[in-house]
This record gives sequence, structure tokens and C-alpha cells, in this order.
Amino acid sequence: MSEAIRFEKINKYFPGAHVLKDVSFSVDQGEVHALLGENGAGKSTLLNILHGIYTEYDGEVRLFGETVHFKNPNDAIMEGKISKVHQETNVVKDISVGENVALGHEPSRAGFVSRGELNKKVNAILKQLGCTFRSETKAGQLSAGEMQMMAIAKALYYDSKIISLDEPTASLSMKETENLFRVIGELKKKGITILYVSHRLEEIFQICDRATILRDGSLIGTVKVADVDRASLIRMMVGRDVDALATRTKPCMATEEVLLKVENLSGEKFRDVSFELHRGEILGFSGLVGAGRTELMRAVCGVDHRKGGKVFLRGKEMHFKNSSDALKNGIGLLPEDRKTQGFLNLSTNIDNMAISSLKKYMTGWFVDTAKKRKNCEKYIELLDVHPPKPDTLTANMSGGNQQKVIIGRWLSADVDVLIFDEPTKGVDVGARVEIYRLIEEFVEQGKAAIVISSDLPEVLGISDRIVVMYEGRKTGEIERSQMSEELAMEYAMGGKQHE
Amino acid sequence: MNKVQKTINNNKRELVTLLGIFLIYIFFTIMDSSYLSWANFLLILQQSTINGIIATGMTFAIMTGGIDLSVGAAYGIVIVAIAEMTVAGWNPVLSLIIGLLLGCGLGLINGLLVTKLKLQPFIATLGTLDVFRGIAYVVTGGVPVVGVPNSYRGIFNAKLPNGIYVYVFVFLGVAIIMGIVLSKTRLGNYLYAVGGNEEAARLSGVNIDWVKIRAYIICAFCASLAGAISLSNLGSGNPKAGEGYELEAIAACAIGGSRMAGGKGSVLGTVFGALLLAALKVGMIILNINTFYQYIVTGAIIVIAAFFEVIQNRLESRIKKRD
Repeated sequence: MSEAIRFEKINKYFPGAHVLKDVSFSVDQGEVHALLGENGAGKSTLLNILHGIYTEYDGEVRLFGETVHFKNPNDAIMEGKISKVHQETNVVKDISVGENVALGHEPSRAGFVSRGELNKKVNAILKQLGCTFRSETKAGQLSAGEMQMMAIAKALYYDSKIISLDEPTASLSMKETENLFRVIGELKKKGITILYVSHRLEEIFQICDRATILRDGSLIGTVKVADVDRASLIRMMVGRDVDALATRTKPCMATEEVLLKVENLSGEKFRDVSFELHRGEILGFSGLVGAGRTELMRAVCGVDHRKGGKVFLRGKEMHFKNSSDALKNGIGLLPEDRKTQGFLNLSTNIDNMAISSLKKYMTGWFVDTAKKRKNCEKYIELLDVHPPKPDTLTANMSGGNQQKVIIGRWLSADVDVLIFDEPTKGVDVGARVEIYRLIEEFVEQGKAAIVISSDLPEVLGISDRIVVMYEGRKTGEIERSQMSEELAMEYAMGGKQHE
Repeated sequence: MNKVQKTINNNKRELVTLLGIFLIYIFFTIMDSSYLSWANFLLILQQSTINGIIATGMTFAIMTGGIDLSVGAAYGIVIVAIAEMTVAGWNPVLSLIIGLLLGCGLGLINGLLVTKLKLQPFIATLGTLDVFRGIAYVVTGGVPVVGVPNSYRGIFNAKLPNGIYVYVFVFLGVAIIMGIVLSKTRLGNYLYAVGGNEEAARLSGVNIDWVKIRAYIICAFCASLAGAISLSNLGSGNPKAGEGYELEAIAACAIGGSRMAGGKGSVLGTVFGALLLAALKVGMIILNINTFYQYIVTGAIIVIAAFFEVIQNRLESRIKKRD
């Protein structure tokens, strides 16, 4: 088989960091090649170089034997026939699927966009991919999985020979993931080369031929997936043995005392949900993407309005006006999307950790920067944030470390109830385990945590009890002793009421 | 890292603007040596006071990711209001206080429109600009209110023994206080957070609406203080006063490094921006340059400042790479 991509001694520097060190490896044509490594290992950086997003680097990139140096992503797509399906798909929601696909390169007739021709072409591609939506559909109506398919259609529209998928399944339901894998298989048959980045190792074994592992910007090696097992892959990624599964290291610490009680809460995307959260408990919320868990928690915290129902905190009925009000009463929400809802883009780690607890750092009327710094240093050490620099912009850190900074923010705020919405989304194996420990340590102090997770092993592994939701309703509640993937899945698909 | 280095690092953008002022100084001094004099320096300070105070307030509105186009009209309303009160024989200090409170009220209106009605700041304040201006016309019948008594004019327009007007000190005082508010208080911290990522700030438990409302109140307060000072200088309340001042204030913010999308900027930078514009204006007046050309030069400086920001960012990332 011929070489599709060859990286030759790639070096990349960021302000204050050497993020890729002499990375050289090749990807064969028509294979599904996994790119593995912890957050911050350099995977995204490498992809960004490949796709013309970073144009300054040392070393050489060769595509099908030819040295390339793209000026911008568009250049990579048009000249290099190489496309990237982003972690967070870029979609203009107000225009149709077809227009999204052809954005900037619409087929035109005498200067006018020829919509008919465009839709015909895009629909043909969508049909190949087995999509049920059409080119004329408004992009805003698509589900996360369908948007992913749209992005792949876009790659095919430009006749791409190489497609990279960066965490494509992070927000997909199980069915959508299966469909994606089927499509990947078909692309492979056509001789298209796939670069695949994911933190879910099961997927690597399911669909990848070979895997290249990066650690701290250096190449660790390229292996045939069939020749290795899960444990050895993890060892290569983190450089040590890690129990990648979410497991409890401490016994259940839940007490009888009810800290948070939600009664018949209803909103736009959920209705009639009731649950109790005990002091010392980790309560998992399972279900498929779109089951209404995030919306439910936002309503509990007063971020969104609720239509009906009651929320009790420490036995007292509460009507939080906004999350500021919820924070004052000791409830915090770690949002799912770090980039748009989590960290402050222009702020350093110091400010990102301090923003929810400024009162703690006051000297007289003023916020004392030295106290803020001290707090930040404390949590950097406690949470093992890497690099351990208070003055670094959080936006410049890797996903897992950004997540730790946000956890540090809430730990600083001394809340009693912390709601984690997909806390390990896009976080690497090593950091995941640390985040699980942090959640445990949090409840150990007599506090309580809610963990929303679409990762079934994760939510089963770390929760004392789980609530399962389906299409906005609570379909089941499972005690730790009864927990099984089968039962959780059954509830997540609608439960017994549906049979 | 020692303290000096740190100060330089944290205030790079401000230092660049200061450098711009120096370059302007060198240029005009070469063209006309009388430019480099204490008296001329004071003149620049005086010239920058009104815009400097308005721009200081504008920095707060821009910091939230918004803008306040109504400052010039708020300035006009307050001038007219204080003029009417003092001419009617009210106590000058009381009139001043009422005038400033009125200004805060106008800011509150802007803040409520932006937060509670969720209007775009640009549109909301474009609307209030006309409304405020219209009210000033209605109240005065379109005619300037003349005969403001000296008891009022003396508040800001007095000269201290060292030859400096009181209002210049008021400018410096406002700049220092607002600088501290933005950099040292909780409100300041929240402002940077809201401008940096509003949704993240909201979910972090920041009361976004209240932060924004206060920003617009501060903005309008500064504009009304500038109006009050201007009235004491001129002695008559013209309902037209302050037309176009919003743009000059925005220019000072931009030159001083405020990011129009919010989250970046400082009062020091804005003050330097206002000084730079004043230094330029005074220099061109000394050189007898036609007013029409002054517009062109001022506009060009704004564009250059914006361009410089881009270059500076690029240089910085390159320098850091070498480290």
C-alpha cells in the first residue's frame, strides 16, 4: 500500500512550550489510522498543521509523496484534497445543509448560485452515506450525529482523499455512533484514508487498523491495533499503568440527610422529574444525548426558567433567579461545553479559578491579587494542573487541564452541591481518573455531587445511585447493588413503559 | 521576574500608546519648538479632559462587549438640566448633584434596555441617543440656556495657584478612581469575565445583568460629569452640546487598547488614548493645519492603532516562541 501522509520531523512551538518534538510517522492509503495520546499530547496540534490551520512549523508534511505546506484550511481542502471533521462541528444553523456543505464554493451559473445543481450533488452524497435528511434541510434542525454526517458529506463534496475525524463520537448517541462506523468502513473501501482521534479506546479496537501514540509532544510509536491490547495502549499513552475504568476507591458515603430535592420539575425539554440527592452521595444521571438532563440541571440552578415543580435545598423551597443566586446558596454547575460555557477565554488560570469566589479574596474594598494567586496555586497543586502556571491563559491549556481549572473554580467557591455535566468529555484517560478521584474527595467532605454522563461505564462506575432519563422523562432509578449496563440501557431507551 | 519587568509585561498595550504620545511630541516639537512647554502640556491636559472622562466611562460599556452611543446626548441633557437649575437660582452644588444623579438614571435606562429587554447595546443606545437629545431640545425649546451664575462656574473652572484648572484634577481623580474600580474591585473582575465569555461568566454565578447595568450607569455618570464640567467652562447650556462625542470617546478607547468585543482594555489605556488625541489636536492647531485635515489625521491614527494591535500580537507570539 502506498503512503498517504508522511510527517517528517515536525516541530511546533507555542508561546513558552515545545508542543511537538521531532514527530515522524506515516499513514497508509486506505487505512483507518488512530492518533492517540492524552490531552496536551499534541494530537490536535498535529492535525492543525496537517490541515493548514497552523502554518508555522518546522519539518515536512508529505501527501502521497509530495511535500505540501498549506497556507490556510481552505487551501488544504481545495489543493490538498484533505478535510477535517471538527470536534465541535462548524455549522451555520440558519442555512440549508447543502449551502453549509458548499459554503464559499457554491456552484454558480452566470454569477448566481445554482441551488438546484448544488442540492442534486449534495443529495447524491447524502444518499451514499445513508442519511435520512436532505440537502434542502435547515442545518439547525440536524442532530449532533447528523451534523457529523454533514461534515463528512462536505469532505466528500470536495473530493477529499484524506479525512480526519477529531473526537467524532463525543456527542453522538449509540445509534449514531454505529452509523458513523458503518460510513467510515465504506469510505475505507473507497480507498479514502482516515485519521481518527478519540479518547474512547473501545472505538479504536472497533474500527482502526493502526494507531500512532503521542505523549507530551513526542512520538511513542505506531502499532497495529490487532497486535495490542487495551492496557498496553494506555501504558503507551500515559507512560504508566492506569486503571482506565471509572471505579470507586472509597465506600459509599451517602447519608440519610437530603440535601437537594427536586419535585415534579418541568421545563421546555423535560417534564415531571423528581429526585433526591443525599449528603455525601454521587448521583449519576444517565441517558442518551438529548434526554433532557442538561436542561433539567440548568433549570434546577435557575439558569433556565422552569414551567412547574419545586426545588428544595436543605429542606427549604428555593426559587433561584439565576446561577448567581444558586451559587450564593451553595449549588454550582460545571457546564458540558468548556469552550463556550466553561472557562473565560481571555482570562488567566488565576482569574478563571477566582471568578466564582471573589468575596474570599477581598482586602477591604478591593480584590487582592495576591490572595487570588495563592488560591490558584493551591488548586493547581491539589488538582495537578499541567502546566502548573497560574499566569497562563486557560484557553491555551489542553482540554483536561481546562476542566481541572473549572473544577478548581467550584472547589474555591465552597459549594455544597456540584453538578458535573459530562465532566470527562474530551478528557484523556489519565486526567479522567483524576477527575473521578476529585469528585470522590468532594463528596467525602460531606458535600454531594450530580454527574451527568453519556458514558455508561463511567456513570455506572462512579455513582452511588443513578437516575436514567429518556426524552425528558425520568424512566428509572437504579441503586448501586442493582446496577448493570443492560438495565441502564433499557431505561435509557424508554424503559418498560414503552414495551 | 522582577517587579519592573512584570509591570511592563502587564501594561504593554498602555506603554505602546504612551510611546505614540511621545512620538507625537517629538514630531511636533521638531516642527515647532513651542510645542514642548509646560503651558502647552497643560493645554493638552485641558483639551483631553472632556473626552477623557467620557471615554473612561465608555471603557466600562465596551468592556462588557457592549457600547454606549448615547453618551454625547446624556452629556447634553445634563448640561441643559444643570443650566436650567442654576439659572433658576438653585444651589449650585445641589444642582450639580441632581445633574449627576440624572445622568446615572439615563445610564440605568440604557442598562435596563440592554439586560432586561435584551436589546443589542448598539441599537438600544442609538435609540436613547435620539430620545435624550430630543428631550434636551424639548426642555430648552432648542435655545441655549444662558446666564449660568459664577457660583456654579467656579466649581470646576477655578484655577489653582499653580495655574492648573480644578477640572483637570477632577479628570485625573475620575481616571484613578475608575481605574481602581476596573482593576481592583469585584465589579471590575466581573466586567473582564463578562466581556471575555458572557455565558461562562453567567454559569460561574456572576450576575450578568447587574454587572452590565452598573457598567452603563458608570458610563453615563462619566458623561454627565464631563457635561457638568463643560457647562462650568462655557457658562451656557446648549442642547446641541456633545454631538458626536460618543465617537471620539470610542476612538480613545480603541487607541488605548479596548477590545470592541469586550473583555480587554484598561482605564489607563483609555486615558492615554484621550491624551494622544488631544496632543495631536493641539499640535495641529499650533501648526495651523486646516480642521478638515485634522479629521483625516485623527482617523488615520485610529486605523494605525488598530493595525498596531495586530502587529503587536504577532510579535509577541514570535518572541515567546524564541524563549
